Amino acid sequence: MKKPRPEITNQTAKFLLNAYRPNGADAQDPVFRDALEQAARDPELGAWFKEQRGFDSMIAEKLSEFEPPATLRSAILAGIENRPPTRYFSIRPLLALAAVIALSAVILVPMYHRRNSGRQLVDQYRKANLSMLAAVPAPQLDLQTASFSHTQEYLAEMRAPSIPSPPPALLGLPTAGCKTLWWNGHILSLTCFRLPSGELLHVFVISRDAFDSMDIGAGFQEINGWHVKFELLNGMLLMFVSRASMAEIKQYI
Amino acid sequence: MVNCIFFVARELDLEVIVGRFYASLYRFALSLTKSEAEAGDLTQQTFFILAQRSHQIRDISKVKCWLFTTLRREFLRIVRTQTNHPHVEFRPEIHDSPSISADALRALDAKAVIDALDRIEPTYRTAVELFYLSELSYKEIAETLDIPIGTVMSRLSRGKEQLKAILASAIAENSDKIIPLKRDEEATS
Repeated sequence: MKKPRPEITNQTAKFLLNAYRPNGADAQDPVFRDALEQAARDPELGAWFKEQRGFDSMIAEKLSEFEPPATLRSAILAGIENRPPTRYFSIRPLLALAAVIALSAVILVPMYHRRNSGRQLVDQYRKANLSMLAAVPAPQLDLQTASFSHTQEYLAEMRAPSIPSPPPALLGLPTAGCKTLWWNGHILSLTCFRLPSGELLHVFVISRDAFDSMDIGAGFQEINGWHVKFELLNGMLLMFVSRASMAEIKQYI
Repeated sequence: MVNCIFFVARELDLEVIVGRFYASLYRFALSLTKSEAEAGDLTQQTFFILAQRSHQIRDISKVKCWLFTTLRREFLRIVRTQTNHPHVEFRPEIHDSPSISADALRALDAKAVIDALDRIEPTYRTAVELFYLSELSYKEIAETLDIPIGTVMSRLSRGKEQLKAILASAIAENSDKIIPLKRDEEATS
């Protein structure tokens, strides 16, 4: 059975609709569907969206007042016509070699590509999260609370993924709070735990569906002073990040 | 690595492509260089590179994205080679996105808008410029800047917030300078 789509908050809808082009070219893009429906339902959001589109149209219109110099087009075309000729190589002697390479590529590239793109996407995700944690000033948590259950209630309310089956030792720690974020069109959550040493243990959770394929590696990695570990659990990708010592982190995850 | 460029394929109709994109590329170049002459040079250079590498474009639907990526790269390459370029960082304090009336906005000239774009924090500026000047979608902006889609959305959100604050401040400043005309009854009394 198909799951009903969750309603999104006005805040999330505004975040998405800021990327909606004023000329309506994105009307069929499913990324905006929920936000557009929400704007049609909610008068406050609807008014904001109308004003935002008006603002965007006006800015685009103002900027289009800058006309290029009258001679630019002909100058470009003249430059193109007078360019030095492109050097072409005779392909015939290379055909046999190309055939061998192509055949190898047909067999090897999909295998490599799947593995590599899975890794690249996870790398991008890791980089985005670490950049966010290292940002100055430090990013604000949406909810500041010592209660783990409060963080997960908030995340559920925001339709963000919560931590599936957290280890019991982790549940014994007070939290600093939590936050929802967006990455590559997917919502994710961040829950921060306070370790006894005073350091924080950050847990990012995102649906596994955010990645076509995945290569998360095993064990901990050390990146710019952060200890990072990925874990796949119940269809969710968990990313643990902390500056605490490995010995301390391992007591909890 | 930007995904816009692919190898081998069919002949591009350069004249059609120039006609279609040169104005928006010029405007984007103008927003980057702030100089009409440099913007013209940069636009020409971009099409020249396209002409040289047109045999490398496989997917014609990516040409627009390729052009904006190439123009930005050329601009960054030129900037890197210039040593004495003063960099003034502007960090407006923004707490909430102000509302600007359509009339006030309409009264602004295009130069004021492009100056306001230039005062957006560099992190967010290019995404906003591409949004307004190129009509690229958020996906194409992500491809052009080689950043994740979520980052584009975040930069657009923050960047537009800053743009509104900067414009609101410019409008308020201008309105302070306007000397109101005396009404007839005040003038005669």
